[in-house]
Amino acid sequence: MNIHKLWEYKEYVNVNGKMLSNELISLLQNSLTLLQVENHFTHIQYWGQLFAVDADYHIAVGINKDAITDKKYYYTTDFKFWGLLPKAKKKYKHLSLLTTFPFRGDPALKIKVLDEALEENNPDRCQFMKEESRLAATISNICEEVEICARGQLIKHPDGTIVINPNYYGLTASEAKQLKSYLHIRPPQHRWNTNLLTRPDYNYSMDFLDSIDQDIPNGCWNLSLEQNGSIVYLKSLYWPGMMFFHKIQTPECGFLYVGNGRKNLDVPFLL
Amino acid sequence: MSQTFMLEPDIIAATENVMPDLNNDLVLAKNFLKQQSGATGDSLYDHLVDVVHKILSQKPPDVVDNFEQYSWHVKQEKFRPNFDLLNDIYLAPPQLALIRRMEEMFRLVASKNQKMEDVDEEEQELDLEEDSMKPRITDLIEHNYYFRECGYGLSEQECYAVYVALNMLGIKEPVATVRFFGKIFGTKANYYVAEADLTIEELDRRIREFEMKDMPGEGEGGEEDRAQEMEEQKEMMGEGEGKEEKPKEPVPPKLPPIPVSTWQPPPPIPVERPGQGVNKKVYYVCNQPGEPWVCLPDVTPNQIRVARLWVRCMTGDLDAEVITFPPFEGTERNYLRAQIARIQAATSISPQGFYTFGSGEEEEDIDLEEGAGDLAFNPNPFYQGHTLKDLVDSNLTYWVHHGRHILKQGRTIWWNPNAGMDEAIEEEEDEGIPPIEPETGPSLFSPLSEDSRLEGQNAWTARISSTLVPDRAVAILRSNVWPGAVAYSTTGKKSECLYFGWGLKSQPPNFCPLQLPRPQDEYVIGPEVMEMADPTFADEEAYRIAHLPPPPPPMRGEGEGEELPEEEEEEDEE
Repeated sequence: MNIHKLWEYKEYVNVNGKMLSNELISLLQNSLTLLQVENHFTHIQYWGQLFAVDADYHIAVGINKDAITDKKYYYTTDFKFWGLLPKAKKKYKHLSLLTTFPFRGDPALKIKVLDEALEENNPDRCQFMKEESRLAATISNICEEVEICARGQLIKHPDGTIVINPNYYGLTASEAKQLKSYLHIRPPQHRWNTNLLTRPDYNYSMDFLDSIDQDIPNGCWNLSLEQNGSIVYLKSLYWPGMMFFHKIQTPECGFLYVGNGRKNLDVPFLL
Repeated sequence: MSQTFMLEPDIIAATENVMPDLNNDLVLAKNFLKQQSGATGDSLYDHLVDVVHKILSQKPPDVVDNFEQYSWHVKQEKFRPNFDLLNDIYLAPPQLALIRRMEEMFRLVASKNQKMEDVDEEEQELDLEEDSMKPRITDLIEHNYYFRECGYGLSEQECYAVYVALNMLGIKEPVATVRFFGKIFGTKANYYVAEADLTIEELDRRIREFEMKDMPGEGEGGEEDRAQEMEEQKEMMGEGEGKEEKPKEPVPPKLPPIPVSTWQPPPPIPVERPGQGVNKKVYYVCNQPGEPWVCLPDVTPNQIRVARLWVRCMTGDLDAEVITFPPFEGTERNYLRAQIARIQAATSISPQGFYTFGSGEEEEDIDLEEGAGDLAFNPNPFYQGHTLKDLVDSNLTYWVHHGRHILKQGRTIWWNPNAGMDEAIEEEEDEGIPPIEPETGPSLFSPLSEDSRLEGQNAWTARISSTLVPDRAVAILRSNVWPGAVAYSTTGKKSECLYFGWGLKSQPPNFCPLQLPRPQDEYVIGPEVMEMADPTFADEEAYRIAHLPPPPPPMRGEGEGEELPEEEEEEDEE
């Protein structure tokens, strides 16, 4: 969510009862604006909160030229020092899914991960992972699977760069009720013509991302209209704590994750 | 200027037989731009005019970077259907249905308040009675304010709507106290849940109903059912035989009767009566504030036990089927009620001393009639509050549960399955069924520090709402076992719990479905049914030689001698 609009979004944001408190917004706006200036980001967004035992992590994203590839993630526990998160490695992405232990709140903590499926003498059986790497991997997993935007919010310029659409008008009420109007913020995984041609009113600059209605199983996304049908909320059953809101026919929308960073693997049983 | 750019007809007239010049080029270019596209009938000229007009009238910043967008929007606007024929029809905003319901609710609440005022003015003396008649509704708006301080709660609009809806509930239903329990999400719609105590009259009526329905001869009913089933089975078998006899074809061999299962279900665990244990409170739900509140049925111990064995999302429809294994008796309204009972039991917490047994005055006799598990408790008038440091202490010794622990049986008060048989057994023989160890759970008001830990994490996490202004700070606890359950307490006398979530318990590492029971053994394993290797020819030969009859005396009858050993062998083989 755009840092400079947090006061406006205060009434809309509601992730499983979790809302933004006045103090949190003030702290975030102050420290993140400084961070933006120091790093010359064109946009800076509040990404969410990860519960930990001692102190919760707050995550922010800085965006420079490209809204998908040119992103930097920062974390903090005290709003004073924002640490840059390392790039998530594939190995840690896998390990972080196996780790069910809660986050501790200390980025330097080393976690032992025992993969019992491997043999006794295999060197990969017991691996070490710093909590910082785990945090980066978890965030990367969440972004890849459930970070979404409304259609048209991100556009692709003819030179290939992807930017946040400054003239975004929002979805209409009927569009907002369809899962097809929401797209994954990640390098597309389906073929370009699948994404483009599955809709009749296709647009080259908008429909280059995967839409969420193709996610498996059908029903893993929960769409609800609240406040007299003026706001759409999208929640994923896979990552409880993820929320996307969009105020219909306005450019206001935002993504937020507030949770314990654990993927819910029980989804097939829930439906 | 006017000389350079002439009007079109003039240009055409002036340039008919003249060779290239600027005006001619301009006309040619303009004509090209005005060419209509075959598909849309649109021309680029018109489009450019529209785009320029839009840009100049709206004056957006950095148009050059987003020119494509602008062009696209202009095109899109052209495709708006023309509702000429329906011009007089007013399309109502989609919120209308909801607003109508809200309006009705507001009117009801307002009219009730008006009436109350009138009564007050007329009969000042009866004030006290009126007050006792009026349901006590928890001040959700105030509690929500504190939750918002901590970063939880409802948005202002939602909060107010729910609060009015709670008032409506107090007017429409026979309830004494109303409290907002929380919100439970569903795949299609969400539930707002209100927790209420019934008025004394209504409670008495429900208890009477409950006793009428359940008490007289529960066992008889079961036996009748079983007898009926047996009869039906017999009839079936009879019919089966009759049909087989009619066609006069070769009679199939008579089959032995189908075995009848001798398994008997364990005696059902009795339901706790209304106003007791898990059914102490009644719950009302609705999908939207303003919709009529629906009272959920009382929960049975069996439903709670079964609901613990699987995970499932609510759909938002109270009559939806719940298809699971092990099977759940009832629809989603029963499942919702069972989950609420579990959540209520696990996540109702308050600072130590906030509630007390009895009404808080020391002379009060503690009512022990119902058994130790069902003491009534009330807010403590002498509660003074704790310091913030104590409230957010990571050991959580200053917080206690005020929800009754639900036992494995699915009741809060243990029910002895052998209670009925006990006397009989005592009379007949001392060594009957061994007495079952009563299940016990943590007692009421046991501190949170005794909660079981979850993967090295406490069941609750405590946080302070504000680090900048400690004077205003509020302690907030969030549950790790039931994600979405929170409770706050000020350093003063305010505390409340709230639940916001999917109604699912966190089960690390993840949910594992119940295994099917092992197949029953068909027979006792013994020497007769043991598998062993068949004897080889050599073995048989050796056996035969070993059992050869002693060489017979030559003069006897040979027949007898040979027959006997053969018979013996046959017996051995069997």
